[in-house]
Amino acid sequence: MGKDECKTMLDALNKVTACYRHLVIALGSTSDSQNLREELKKTRKKAQELAVANRTKLTSLLKDKTISKDDRAEYERLWVLFSSSMDLLEVDMKRSLEIGQDFPLKVPTRHLIQTGMTGSTTTVAARAMSVQNMKYEADSTIDTVDLRDLQSEITQVSQMMEEMEMKVQVAPWAVEAKQEAGAELKSNMSVGNSSVGVISICEEEPKEEEGGGSRDAGIASVCAVLVFIVIIAVAGVLGYLVINMS
Amino acid sequence: MTIRNTLRDHGQRYRPRMACLKKTEKVLLEMQDPKTGVRSQPQRLVITTIPHAITGEDIIAWLADRFQVDTQEARTFGSMLVALGYIYPLQDHKRLVIKPDVSLYRFQTPYFWPTQQWPVEDTDYAIYLAKRNIRKKGILELHEQEHYNRLHKWMNHKWDFIVMQAKEQYRAAKERKKPDRVVFDCQERAYWVVHRPPPGTVSAMDYGLDRLTDPNSDEAKTPDFYERIMIFTQQSIMRPRVKSSVSIGALVKYCGTYNNHDPFLFKCLPSNPWLTDDVTYWNLNMPCVEIPTKMRVERWTFSFAELLSDPRGRDDFRLFLKKEFSGENLAFWEGCEDLKWGEAATIKEKAEHIYKTFLARGAPRWINIDGKTMEVTVKGLKHPHRYVLDPAQTHIYMLMKKDSYGRYQKSPVFKDTVKKAICPEEHNFSVAQLEQNAKKRRPSLSPIILRQMEKEQRAKMAANVDITQLCRFTTPIPHLAVYSGITDFPTATTSPSLTFLAHTPACPSPISVALDSTSASERRVEAGGGEGEGNPAARAPVCGNVSKSRMALSLRRLLKRGCTPATMFASLSPKCHSAAGTSSRIQPISPDQPSQPPPRRIGKLKWIFLQSAVSTP
Repeated sequence: MGKDECKTMLDALNKVTACYRHLVIALGSTSDSQNLREELKKTRKKAQELAVANRTKLTSLLKDKTISKDDRAEYERLWVLFSSSMDLLEVDMKRSLEIGQDFPLKVPTRHLIQTGMTGSTTTVAARAMSVQNMKYEADSTIDTVDLRDLQSEITQVSQMMEEMEMKVQVAPWAVEAKQEAGAELKSNMSVGNSSVGVISICEEEPKEEEGGGSRDAGIASVCAVLVFIVIIAVAGVLGYLVINMS
Repeated sequence: MTIRNTLRDHGQRYRPRMACLKKTEKVLLEMQDPKTGVRSQPQRLVITTIPHAITGEDIIAWLADRFQVDTQEARTFGSMLVALGYIYPLQDHKRLVIKPDVSLYRFQTPYFWPTQQWPVEDTDYAIYLAKRNIRKKGILELHEQEHYNRLHKWMNHKWDFIVMQAKEQYRAAKERKKPDRVVFDCQERAYWVVHRPPPGTVSAMDYGLDRLTDPNSDEAKTPDFYERIMIFTQQSIMRPRVKSSVSIGALVKYCGTYNNHDPFLFKCLPSNPWLTDDVTYWNLNMPCVEIPTKMRVERWTFSFAELLSDPRGRDDFRLFLKKEFSGENLAFWEGCEDLKWGEAATIKEKAEHIYKTFLARGAPRWINIDGKTMEVTVKGLKHPHRYVLDPAQTHIYMLMKKDSYGRYQKSPVFKDTVKKAICPEEHNFSVAQLEQNAKKRRPSLSPIILRQMEKEQRAKMAANVDITQLCRFTTPIPHLAVYSGITDFPTATTSPSLTFLAHTPACPSPISVALDSTSASERRVEAGGGEGEGNPAARAPVCGNVSKSRMALSLRRLLKRGCTPATMFASLSPKCHSAAGTSSRIQPISPDQPSQPPPRRIGKLKWIFLQSAVSTP
């Protein structure tokens, strides 16, 4: 159905927006590199494709006058999601242009800010593009060429948003959210490799974090010990039976 | 040439609000240099090491070396960098100061640098709080919880988006390696400590309202832009020029006089509240405090404008003028200021009130201005606007400045104030006490309450004006003052003061009589002719009082009516409740005494003696 299609596309756009923001945050710091610029470019392109697709779908749905009131309310909610995503995306694109211009890569001495982040952002970009591994094929002039492209893309996005506002009459403040406060806590968050042993941020919060971490680690080790004991006991019983039988 | 205080400059100037930001960014880049920048070291955490941590003392030493300043100033500069958010502390992340020891700091990523052109959005803050909620499993700090609830209420339509985006950002952050994740969390937290400060602290990025244009941005070179430049240069050519020796001399004099009174440049007693968080200084210098401080009283001697602009000084001056019976000058000046700065809707009635109280013939608090100014003012009052009383106000101001101000400074009132003025002891806070003071900071009285208090006080003062003290010029010919030269005293105006006083409420103000002629002389005739409206009871004993000698006339009148001053008062008070005023140099006497304008033949001094001789009953 149209609604589910919309929802999946919006989820994808949401994911790409979040990843794009992460990549922009890394811009200008020591984790900045040519690869990062290329990742930004690719993520951006993907975001734009998704945005266009979403827009056409949603405008066609909302223009349809024969839908029921509930449906219309639902589509308006999706519309608000879409426009908020686009707002974030536009701001991030403009900021990446600004920071990209301030921190060029092709200069003899790069002056990147030593933020302490030294790893690469490949995994984030891979998540955005929904691929396993990222391939890098850009040449070394990416930062200047890309910035020009970026400027044109920003104007495109702004135009798209203006058109959206004109064509579709949706009052964003009239939309009621489905999630209540604290909804983010409800879903399953245990995806990923670090739910056990959350490390401390800084010396400030080591006590609670490490306590929690070590508590988790303790439970795991206790379980492991128990399993080990059970196996030893089973082995012992089997050995005893073997000896008894022979 | 004196320099005026430009405190009331209401012009819309696009001052570069935070020009320090662009400059700080350059300094930041210099600090990154591996050879000449700040020395960085790795931070060792439990499991990982994260590079690029810098110690507080290294930062301060580098700044002191780079800018060739002493350690204290470098420390202040470093604190500014931390407060703005370019560097964040790794321990004690809520206190944005730089500590001159081995405590660690780190540079902030350019995306999170403070900037004026990208406003800090509540949407982002809501997403951050939702992420934090996930991380902390629902246990947020108190102020964060409050913000969260508030944002949930006000951004409810976007809440789905916020939750979705928070989850996605959380998952995306997990894709990175552990050290980077730690750094990212620290960065984001530091960013929000700067822009949504915890309670009890202030954000360094709080620069007030936004201007319409960003003064740091480059302006497009349109024809309008060039036209503005042309107009500006043309006006600069036409500007009147002052010799630089004169203007520099004025600057030097100003700096010399005010140097010790500026808390930026000199210590202020007892202590500067911005530095020590102790508000004694502000309490001692409140607008309506009983006993002013010595420094404040000293400032009153610098210039007349200083005296008038300080409410306590103005009170003192008012007291002095009351003793001298020339308080109407200050009252008139204050009325004019009120007119100038008040609401547009009240201009007409205020102007009318001022005219009736101060300028009209027979006004209870008549002020002494020359004929030409009076003409101009009365003419302007037909169509009153904000600045209609400017000439008269300037005249009175110069009169007070040249005359009363000098006498005030030699008067016993002022000497008494100087003697009573207090000089508070300097505070000497230890570091622990300073921290305690910082914790005990409280907001001051709300401006709404202050405005109400001011209004009450003004009403009280207006009600308290002494109505028994009347000016001897209460039935004046406006040209009576020394500055004028008109000599004729037509008999029409020699009716006793009582009649005119009775007239005052009915006196046709020029605002209401739009068709009448404008000159004062014609109004005189009118007022004379308007006697018919006067109080017949008051007039009866008065008619036929015209005699040759004015002196004899006044004496005779006193003898005729000397035994019934009470009736005069009685008939006086209900009609002229606005007949308030203080006369200059006259003791309180029965109202009919100052009826005659003193003839110019008699010297003023003689007349005063005559009055005082007659007045002692």
